[in-house]
Amino acid sequence: MLALRLLWRNWRSGEVKLLAVALVLAVAVVSGIAIFADRLDTTLVQQSNAFLGADLIVSGTQPHRQAWSEEAENRGIEQTRVVEFSSMVFSGDELHLASIRAVAEGYPLRGYVETSHEAYSQQPPVRADSIPPAGEVWVDGRLLPLLNIELGDDIEVGEHTLTTTRILVRQPGESGFAMTGARVLMNLADLEQTQVVQPGSRIDYQWLVASDDSGNLAAFREWLQERLTDHDRIRDIDSSQRQLAQTLETGERFLLLAAVVGVLLAGVAIGLAARQFAARHVDQVALMKSLGAGAGRIRQLYAGQLLILATLASLVGLVLGEGIQRGVASSLQSFFNVALAAPAIYAYVLSFFSGLVCLMFFALPALWFLPQVPPLKILRRELAVNQTQLWIQVVLALAAIFLLVSLFSRQLGLSLSVMAALTGILVMSAGIGFVLLKFSRRLSTNAGSIWRLAVANLQRQRGQSLVQMVIFSIAIMLLLTLTAVRTSLIEDWRMQLPENAPNHFLVNIAPQNVEAVQSFLDQEGVDREPLYPMVLGRLTHINGEERDRSLGMNREANLTWTDTLGDDNEIQAGAWWDEWSSETGLPGVSVEEGLAEQLGLSVGTRLEFSLGGLPIEVEVASLRSLDWQSMNPNFFFIFEPGALDDFSATYITSAYLPNDKKPLINELLRAYPNILVIELDRVFEQIRSIVDQVSQGVQLVLWLTLLGGGLVLFAAVTSSIDGRKREAGLLRALGSPRRLVIGSIWAEFSILGFLAGLVGVIGAEILLWNLQYWVLDIPVRAHPTFWVLGPILGAVCVGTLGAISCRGVVTTPPAVVLREAG
Amino acid sequence: MSQAVVEARAVRKDVASAEGTLSILHEVSLSVSSGDSLAITGPSGSGKSTLLGILAGLDLPSSGEVILAGHKLTAMDEEGRAKVRADHVGFVFQSFQLLPGLTALENVMLPLELHGAGDARQKASDFLARVGLSERLSHYPQQLSGGEQQRVAIARAFASEPRVLFADEPTGNLDMHTGAHVIDLLFELNREQGTTLVLITHEERLALRCQRRVELVAGALAEPEAELSPAL
Repeated sequence: MLALRLLWRNWRSGEVKLLAVALVLAVAVVSGIAIFADRLDTTLVQQSNAFLGADLIVSGTQPHRQAWSEEAENRGIEQTRVVEFSSMVFSGDELHLASIRAVAEGYPLRGYVETSHEAYSQQPPVRADSIPPAGEVWVDGRLLPLLNIELGDDIEVGEHTLTTTRILVRQPGESGFAMTGARVLMNLADLEQTQVVQPGSRIDYQWLVASDDSGNLAAFREWLQERLTDHDRIRDIDSSQRQLAQTLETGERFLLLAAVVGVLLAGVAIGLAARQFAARHVDQVALMKSLGAGAGRIRQLYAGQLLILATLASLVGLVLGEGIQRGVASSLQSFFNVALAAPAIYAYVLSFFSGLVCLMFFALPALWFLPQVPPLKILRRELAVNQTQLWIQVVLALAAIFLLVSLFSRQLGLSLSVMAALTGILVMSAGIGFVLLKFSRRLSTNAGSIWRLAVANLQRQRGQSLVQMVIFSIAIMLLLTLTAVRTSLIEDWRMQLPENAPNHFLVNIAPQNVEAVQSFLDQEGVDREPLYPMVLGRLTHINGEERDRSLGMNREANLTWTDTLGDDNEIQAGAWWDEWSSETGLPGVSVEEGLAEQLGLSVGTRLEFSLGGLPIEVEVASLRSLDWQSMNPNFFFIFEPGALDDFSATYITSAYLPNDKKPLINELLRAYPNILVIELDRVFEQIRSIVDQVSQGVQLVLWLTLLGGGLVLFAAVTSSIDGRKREAGLLRALGSPRRLVIGSIWAEFSILGFLAGLVGVIGAEILLWNLQYWVLDIPVRAHPTFWVLGPILGAVCVGTLGAISCRGVVTTPPAVVLREAG
Repeated sequence: MSQAVVEARAVRKDVASAEGTLSILHEVSLSVSSGDSLAITGPSGSGKSTLLGILAGLDLPSSGEVILAGHKLTAMDEEGRAKVRADHVGFVFQSFQLLPGLTALENVMLPLELHGAGDARQKASDFLARVGLSERLSHYPQQLSGGEQQRVAIARAFASEPRVLFADEPTGNLDMHTGAHVIDLLFELNREQGTTLVLITHEERLALRCQRRVELVAGALAEPEAELSPAL
């Protein structure tokens, strides 16, 4: 096969090596990122589904239908059942209204139940490898003091006696606040004997399903959705953990963005390599045509070579990419002790074809004119060859970028904003580059000979210099963008969960214990929020009329009073107590602004609450904004001090308890068994570990992309090296010292790099603004360090690369250089 | 006189330039019989290379007809002309035009491979032996002297056994001694294979070796074709 032989000869002579390396790296970077991102994505979804205990939960007041089970079984989808309810548990004379979960074999489908053998233990909890055996229950640590029992004692649940065998530390599917009673985990087989489930009792039946095959699951979900009634609710990570889902989504977008940037960089490198290849092959094509090869034959021969090259390079790239992603994954695994999910086959297929797509769109346009080289060129070397117009190449490259971005991200918004930004930047950087290059001449008139020579060179080949500069700028812009996005993403995530955010809520503190609890916590040096009084009340009337229940807020709300406004609260309308005076003589209330909008409240609106059947009328004094993510106790309604004096309140606070202070909870609960402690630390830990995983992945992907950037710089430098070698050879032949030759090349590339860095920073700021505003939904800010770093790094990297690539010309005799450079 | 294998009838070549249309060839007519050798001489810029390109089917005249090996090139498209070149034409160039990335052997193999010849390697190495380069098969052009490079080019030209060989200043880049050697080789193979030879040259001694000679001056044949030496 002639094409194969020609390819081999071209390879041997080094003419396709750059193209091959660019392709291999393109596929390696792309597949490395795509496969890794796919694994990370699957893992993260599974991890976060560990929050739920399943991929999907269907819950309702009736058990799920038998037909659903059969369908799931047919489709190979895992399933199990949970029945959740509140019920009194007894031991001797003590009783407590517990939150009970009866679970079937297989629970949880995702994540683990964590238990220990001691309440509020400092030891890390142990993952349970089964559900509680029949006859046993695992219970919340606080149930022990509440019922005055030890682990191993029996408790009664309804009509059935069960033995407490373990402390239940954490189980999937907890929302933290919803459960008010102590948790009890029991075997579903024991449920009937308790006789708790009676007609009319409030039971939440949950059907948990999961599958490793996300396509299968999605199809099943669709099937299921059509069969759900109004009483069935379907939940997944998106609906139950919005914030976490958002983090994951942003992380995923970043990875996609990185993959896209990887493709772009590799594409640019491929395009450059192809241009160089084409320029070197004009003579060869002319010769072959003079020897009688027609345009069709030439096209066939070159297409054959490219196809073979692309296939081989894609395979090598895929192997490399697999190596990269395995390396990255294993370092991640050892670091975080998580098992990454197996990659999906489509990630490999996509990566493989991305090589072909890259070649088709980035390389082919540069080569398109080759079959049209006139055979007469062999006789008349000065004959101009209609090279593919640069603008056609750029348009095709943009089309390729659009295709690839859409393919990888499956998000039109991302594709469009990358495209728009790139086009704008292309135009802008060309303009700015033109002006800067022009300006640099004036600056260099007083400079040394090295700089003058360099600037003269840049001026003389202004077209080529501009193209190179645009390419350097794009590479620098993309890398800076990625770095910035990564940094602000990680910061943004970290800020969602500050290090010392309160991780325990203490609820149900009796008024007579307030001072004692306060001083206990303070003595132990616990970082805590103030204690807020809390009264349960229901909003019944607005401006004297019974309110429209369809607007929400139908449950009993936690009402409080205070004279100091919380740090994260801000008055948006009306005034705080010190500046407020009632118009109606009623006591005042401050309402959270979101709720006020939902219910149609404004300053001056009269509200009537029912507190345990007793009415109280108040007037809206102010509307407040507040930060629900602060993990401080926050309230929809804050009353004027004194307004609720007639009602008995309990108190609530939140505190930060590091692990070594956890035993304090035991002490506290022993002294005040009525206090309800909600431990959020383990939930936080898990969220933080997920955020860390995403951040780490993001970091590693950034390094991979940097590799692509380096390749682009290298390709751009080498693509112009032939001409420069010839000139350098001439200078050497004319007796110029080595220092001048290398120095001027270094200076030339440094100037290019510096200008490219400057243009790149401007481009990066624009692209970042676009991305942050339109795609990633993170705050927009300027990056002053980039303005210093960009140009300097550009000058150093590009200058060094240029000098290294050309160093051969000063060590080789000029005659050889001139002969080789042709 | 045997049948004409190369024939030009009233060939004109005009090119557009900044100063208007520039006429490079005016009504050139000539004919070369099979097995003949023709030297086209003339000063620089007289249109020699243009004429050679048109005769060989590398370029088209603005008007007139060119017939090569019985094919009317001026009535064919580029693909058709490529086919005629593949079947009947060989070239030797002033600057050798060897591909730098290919060894001597591979350079000679290239036209054979393009024609799909099965024994390309054997044939190419035979021809390289004929030009005295059997020791240089795996050398790259840059490892060969100018004379050696032109010998490789000659081997390449003859390897596909063309009916017509076009040579554009084949000794232009060589010193006198090497040039003489290359000329000998060219005519030797020409005789052996009965190839028709059309060459452009500045060199009197090369022109003298040809059976016929025409001179181009400012794009026109300066004098009617003259028989310079008796036909063989």
